[in-house]
Amino acid sequence: MKTATSAASPTAGTEPALRSAGTKIGYGILYFVLYSAAIIQMIPLVWLLFFSLKNNQEVFNLPPLALPKHPKWENYQNVWSQGNIERYFLNSVWITIIAVVLTILLASFVTYAITRMRWKLRPLVLGLFMTGMMIPVHSTLIPLFNLFQKVGLTDSQLSIILSYTAFNLPITIMILLGFYYALPREVEEAAIMDGCTVNRMFFRIVLPMTLSVIVTAAIINMIYNWNEFIFVNTFISSDNLKTLTVGVQNFVGQYTTDWGAIGATLMISILPILIVFLLLSNKIVEGIAAGSVKG
Amino acid sequence: MDKVMSNKKIIALYVLPALLLILTIIYTPIVLTGYYGLMEWDGVSAMSFIGLENYATLMKDGAFWSSVYHSFLFALLSTVSLAVYMLISLILAGSIKGAGLLRKIYLIPMLLSSVAIAQLWLKIYHPTNGMLNAFLSSIGVENTPAWLSDTKLVLGALFVPILWQYAGFYILIYYAALKNIPASLVEAARIDGANPWQIALKIKLPLISEVIKVTIVLAVVGSLKYFDLIYVMTDGGPNGASEVMASYMYHKAFRGFDFGYGSAIGFFLLIICMLATWGIRKLTASDDTIQYS
Amino acid sequence: MKRKAFSAALLLLALTLIMAACGGNGSNSGNGGEKSNSPNGANTSTGDEGNKTDSTGEKVTIKMMHLWPDGSNSAQNKLVKQIISEYEQANPNVKVETEVLENEQYKNKIKVLSASNSLPDVGFTWAAGFLEPYVKGNMFAPLDDLLQGELKDKFVAGTTEAYAVDGKTYALPVELNIVPVYYNKEIFAKYNLQPPQTYEEFKNIIKTLNDNKVTPIALGSKDAWTGSFWYMYLADRIGGPDVQDQAVASSTFNDPSLIEAAKEAQELVKSNAFVKGFNGLSNDEAKSEFMNEKAAMYAMGTWEVPNYTTNPDIPQEFRDKIGFFKFPTIEGGKGNINDWVGGVGVGLFVSENSKVKEEAKKFVSFFVQRWGELSVTDAGIIPGTKVDTSSVNLPQMFIDVLNELNNASKVILYLDVQMKPVASEEHHNLIQALLGNAVTPEEFAQKQEDVLKTGK
Repeated sequence: MKTATSAASPTAGTEPALRSAGTKIGYGILYFVLYSAAIIQMIPLVWLLFFSLKNNQEVFNLPPLALPKHPKWENYQNVWSQGNIERYFLNSVWITIIAVVLTILLASFVTYAITRMRWKLRPLVLGLFMTGMMIPVHSTLIPLFNLFQKVGLTDSQLSIILSYTAFNLPITIMILLGFYYALPREVEEAAIMDGCTVNRMFFRIVLPMTLSVIVTAAIINMIYNWNEFIFVNTFISSDNLKTLTVGVQNFVGQYTTDWGAIGATLMISILPILIVFLLLSNKIVEGIAAGSVKG
Repeated sequence: MDKVMSNKKIIALYVLPALLLILTIIYTPIVLTGYYGLMEWDGVSAMSFIGLENYATLMKDGAFWSSVYHSFLFALLSTVSLAVYMLISLILAGSIKGAGLLRKIYLIPMLLSSVAIAQLWLKIYHPTNGMLNAFLSSIGVENTPAWLSDTKLVLGALFVPILWQYAGFYILIYYAALKNIPASLVEAARIDGANPWQIALKIKLPLISEVIKVTIVLAVVGSLKYFDLIYVMTDGGPNGASEVMASYMYHKAFRGFDFGYGSAIGFFLLIICMLATWGIRKLTASDDTIQYS
Repeated sequence: MKRKAFSAALLLLALTLIMAACGGNGSNSGNGGEKSNSPNGANTSTGDEGNKTDSTGEKVTIKMMHLWPDGSNSAQNKLVKQIISEYEQANPNVKVETEVLENEQYKNKIKVLSASNSLPDVGFTWAAGFLEPYVKGNMFAPLDDLLQGELKDKFVAGTTEAYAVDGKTYALPVELNIVPVYYNKEIFAKYNLQPPQTYEEFKNIIKTLNDNKVTPIALGSKDAWTGSFWYMYLADRIGGPDVQDQAVASSTFNDPSLIEAAKEAQELVKSNAFVKGFNGLSNDEAKSEFMNEKAAMYAMGTWEVPNYTTNPDIPQEFRDKIGFFKFPTIEGGKGNINDWVGGVGVGLFVSENSKVKEEAKKFVSFFVQRWGELSVTDAGIIPGTKVDTSSVNLPQMFIDVLNELNNASKVILYLDVQMKPVASEEHHNLIQALLGNAVTPEEFAQKQEDVLKTGK
């Protein structure tokens, strides 16, 4: 990486001709490095696909990037026919969506209030939110289970949604903060002058202007929620209410584990977020465009 | 403007929902963790109050301090890696052909759950038929290392996949931040004859300095309480060589039935994180921004 | 529009918080329904439908948690379902609800549930060290009345004792295993090797295999309990069958034979007996070295026997190649070749605070009996109850194992199971340290003693 950049940024003062030749070579190296790195980053997906087509012996015996002689497509069949996977899938989808929307909305409110409004308790409240991401998850299980039990929320998906939202709020606020500080205030000031109410301004101006960071935070939140399993296992006991990550554990046995089936479950569970990620990720750039139009 | 923006009702409306949510869901466990930390409790029988005894034990617990050391080492490395992530983001956000595609591909590993990543890297590090050792023997290295069972290598071997796993997270944030910089500013600098390197250092980085500060805090706090891959790949072993604070806490509380001691570790971890965050804020503070800590 | 969405979100939160605020009442009224039988602590009196369990005809729901997901332990999972449905048919007023979690998650959840005083009515526990805190905390109900009554003489001698604290038994075993050393007959034949009778022969086998670049033993001591097997056998063969039990019981680990065994274990490591990088390998990874015929020997519980006999996913040729031998005796040592490392695995407990305790006990009694009749043939699991080998049709290796169990002079319960949780954790660390040459045998024994002495 280092060589690539220094090559791409030749020292000032070299002759134009030399400089353009150097730049060309520099860019050549840069592209080579970038695309090689991209190929390496693709490997995990390919590996996971191959992994999901192996049985236990092949998983451990064959090189990771070798296809088995007889791909075990039945791993997928096995995963799909066993247990409750469609149900888990739907649960994962709706829990993730609700928690992400709730987190982003609440975090945007707070960030807006912290960066734009004037009030005395601001440092304290921000401190409270930041401290919220410092507690290790395993310290929270027993107290939270107790809490949910007291309010009758154990074995309810609401407990999961509330936990995901609460635990992702601090990090989401942190991400938003940096962007809100960098956001030019002129537009908002002008809007206030025009007599725009705070709520109207927040929804009509601030949210659209921060769309790119909202998408960024949404992607991060989505990945966290989609892959989470400790809370699900602890707070939910009915099979019907569990999520996709439980599908993976279905194949972890007391003394032996069915790795091929785990690979297939992981493959099935990664596809939806891969698709959503690819779609959302375009919005990061579009978001900026939308913001600047408003501005 | 000031008047509108200091309306108490509106502020309450914007802050209270989230605040009440974290106060119930996050601060209940925080307060109770502090409370359990003062108890002798196996998680089953009745608790008995022992004051600060757990903390006294903690201070003398060599295994704990070695886990603290590992966690801090890891926090330091994560912070340093931010520079690399930033470099990649600068390149991707620049005028590179196919940047959109590259960016997406670069972020793919971040979508994988820790279970999958752990399995992948276990295959890479496998002492006899792993990819890494296969490569090393092919270039003539004899006595290839047993990465995860060598107490001297295991920590380094674990940091690589964790840093790799989180690369996507930071690149995503940096990329969005860089793309948010008004194009006019960059254009103006370019017309003045600044090269890409200068534009990056003098224009782009200062403009997103708040984002950088935030990511430093996230990297440090995230590392200090890191758990996932370590738990799956080595479970803190061999013999505690890759134990970090969170895994040590888990082992004491859930494996050792010592929830009092485990809670003390959890609470101590919280305090360490707060101190670290405070320190970072002090170090990176600048006059022109609002102090928020 | 947007205002509406905003207020809706606010409302949702407000509602939750109100629910949280008036928690005490909410739980009682909300929990009276059908999913209410998780005991809410001894002093809260939720509805009385669960209490009158003795009157027949009253609807009773028993909550059960187990650790056999249908994906990975499908035989056990099916068997549990079958026994439950048989029981429900015989007792139409009873419904058994199950919750399944994999091993590790199961252990975690049991701990969270017990800390909140809401264990399921029936569940699985491990023996001795794991069980003791629950007994001390009054979480498990004593089952001696069952053992004196309808279950009298049904269990293999010495099995239920592992679940006893202060003379009362708190769980009933469904698994009993010993740890043989499996070996690959083909590899042994190729290098003209015989299963060893003495430790000298065993060491020669290791040397021969190493000379021929075959990994002698597959071991994955990232899961440190697998390394503990080897230490335990050495300790038994050197110090005799009681030295380890006594060490744990008296919290002293200074018997010279225990240190000698630690030395011997390090000698084994030095002689390259184990697969490369064993301290970083999981048991699954190590096992694959044996299954792929790269390693010649593998010491593991008899739960592996189905893999060498009936498991259709494993090629018949491989299954036919595997045999087992007893860990050899050491010259001058006090151990008997018929001493086995092993013991009971999981056992069924009944929650002391269960509102359907009597019904739960009846169900457990039925369960262990049916399980005993079916588990060997249907799931390849040796139950804690006595098995009549003459009446069942079993693969030879199963018969051999059952015979060995009958002839065993002693089954030494796994050290990490015997020890209390903190000591057990430390035992795992110390085994890794010992095999990784990070401690001397003397330090190993000293540290083990130190932690045993803390009584945790």
